[in-house]
Amino acid sequence: MTISCRGLTKVYEGGKSGWPALRGISFDIGPGEFAAVTGPSGCGKSTLLNIIGLLDEPSGGGYFLHGRDVVKMSDLERSDARRDGIGFVFQAFHLLNRLTALDNVCLPMMYAGAPDKAIKSRAHELLHKVGLKGKERKTPLELSGGERQRVAIARALANSPKIILADEPTGNLDSSSSREVMNMLLVLNKEGITVVMVTHDRELAALAGRNIRMMDGVIES
Amino acid sequence: MKSLVIAARTGFSEIRAHKTRSILSFLAIAVGAVVFINAFSAICATYERLKKQKDVSGIARLKISQNNSRLFSSPDAEYTPPPAFTYEDVLLLKRKMPGLYMVSPEARDWHDVLEYNGRRVNTNLLGVAPDWIKRDFVYTLRGRFLNWHDLENKLRVCVLIKKAPPPPGNSFEKSMFKKWNSAAAFDTLVSHNDLLGKPVKIEGVNFTVIGILEELPASKREVMVGYSNSKDVQILAPVTTLTHFGFISARNSLDVSIDTGSEQTFEESLKLIKNFLKIRFGDEDSFIIENQMELIRERTEKSVKNSLMTISLGMLAFIAGGIGIMNVTLATVFARTKEIGVRRAIGANRGDIMLQFIVEAVLLGLIGGVLGSGIGYVWNGPVRVIFGMGGGTIKPWIPLVSVLIAAFTSFAFAIYPAWVAANLKPADALRAE
Repeated sequence: MTISCRGLTKVYEGGKSGWPALRGISFDIGPGEFAAVTGPSGCGKSTLLNIIGLLDEPSGGGYFLHGRDVVKMSDLERSDARRDGIGFVFQAFHLLNRLTALDNVCLPMMYAGAPDKAIKSRAHELLHKVGLKGKERKTPLELSGGERQRVAIARALANSPKIILADEPTGNLDSSSSREVMNMLLVLNKEGITVVMVTHDRELAALAGRNIRMMDGVIES
Repeated sequence: MKSLVIAARTGFSEIRAHKTRSILSFLAIAVGAVVFINAFSAICATYERLKKQKDVSGIARLKISQNNSRLFSSPDAEYTPPPAFTYEDVLLLKRKMPGLYMVSPEARDWHDVLEYNGRRVNTNLLGVAPDWIKRDFVYTLRGRFLNWHDLENKLRVCVLIKKAPPPPGNSFEKSMFKKWNSAAAFDTLVSHNDLLGKPVKIEGVNFTVIGILEELPASKREVMVGYSNSKDVQILAPVTTLTHFGFISARNSLDVSIDTGSEQTFEESLKLIKNFLKIRFGDEDSFIIENQMELIRERTEKSVKNSLMTISLGMLAFIAGGIGIMNVTLATVFARTKEIGVRRAIGANRGDIMLQFIVEAVLLGLIGGVLGSGIGYVWNGPVRVIFGMGGGTIKPWIPLVSVLIAAFTSFAFAIYPAWVAANLKPADALRAE
């Protein structure tokens, strides 16, 4: 299994006994799957995605990434696993505004320590792939929302990850841009990348191969 | 290595993006560098003066003079004059201790009238021996100095001292200089007339000027321990001549200025000289031996202590600058929490984040240090000269060291903020607004 969760819980600090965001979640996602996680706001979708993406640690339960027990990994190992194996696409893009589109895409490869030339050519290639040829030197502030999200996708693909985690990737986009981004994710999935997408757009969710519906920190179906 | 490149690049773009903040940080560190450079420049100047002191005055100095407290305190009803150190004693001492580098009597006679070409000016005389010129030599000599022939034959020859203009000072110092400068007329006379080889009259006695000692400018003869005996003296003459012609009473004791030659043999020489006094006069208490080496050492120690004080001030200034850097870096960390989250999400580990903030702070410190060193260099060099404060002593390594210290201080003070940044949880950092 690519992603395997067993009884995941997450309790945020606050109040007497804390505030539970996840209350025992178990599921598996196999290689090449496209899973959409849906549910109302505050049901724990983003928390789950953060845990899957190694950005957060579960309070309890087990999480195995490609069969490795994440709970036992050190921070450095988690950082490396995140850098080399997982690409993120966020609702708010989370690009660095002071860098050009090209530099934003270069960044993950630089952290991976790749040689300069390879980084540059791969970044060009990726921006070309997401249809932003000629806009490499533009900063995110000079790009439209759809273009920014495509830069973010290019950045997510930089280190050739096996998994892409998308947190409401179309939440800030108009319908045509949304469709483009969704198509891109579907294409990537066809190329063999496992995609987990959090959304509350039912139409988009319907395009995914699998739906995980959440409610109040547990999986409904 | 790659993360260092990322960090440096990010650092520069951050510094450029937040100009006001960066400039304030530069200033905080620059002030430290300026103070530090001032401190070190002062210390270097101190050591240079010390060195000059050693070269000019020697360090193993002592002086024999009569013990005045015994002069009139004979317990007997009948007064017996105390023993006096005479010229013959000086010669004897020289014979007995040929290892002494310099032995010269020093006998003063104040307020003599020198007459030249019908002009009469007030002067002070000092009777010396040829050895005198081996020490306190901060002059250029025209003509020749006194020799043993002059002394043996009590020749009426003299050497004049031509003063250099006084160092720049404030108006108070200038008025004080006038107040005590009873020989101003003499200085004018000597500076406007070439008296070399000319006959002059001192208190009615004919003398020939055989040499002129021209004082070097203040900056070249400035010594830390003012032990020059020639400060208020305008005319040097053979001590024998002065005694012979009654400028100095033959019954009076001579002061003897001695340089034993080296610090190593000083104590040994001191013992021998005490012995000499005991044998010669039966009672060494009749004379006082001023241990000038001790004095020089004490003053040296004091100036070293002062230097440490100054250095600690410089360090304090750096620490203040460092705290400024820490403050700025902490503020930066909180302002860029989200960015930290993004960087963590796309693969930066804790070390990368830590490195980034440290490199940024060190860049601030480096630029501030260079800025401060520049200001300090200009201040201690040209500016001080322009304002008449005399150029400071700046060695090329001083600005270099201060830049390094600035960088190191920034590094040290950035560790905590960088650690805070590195330990933010990626998910929490991403949620930050």
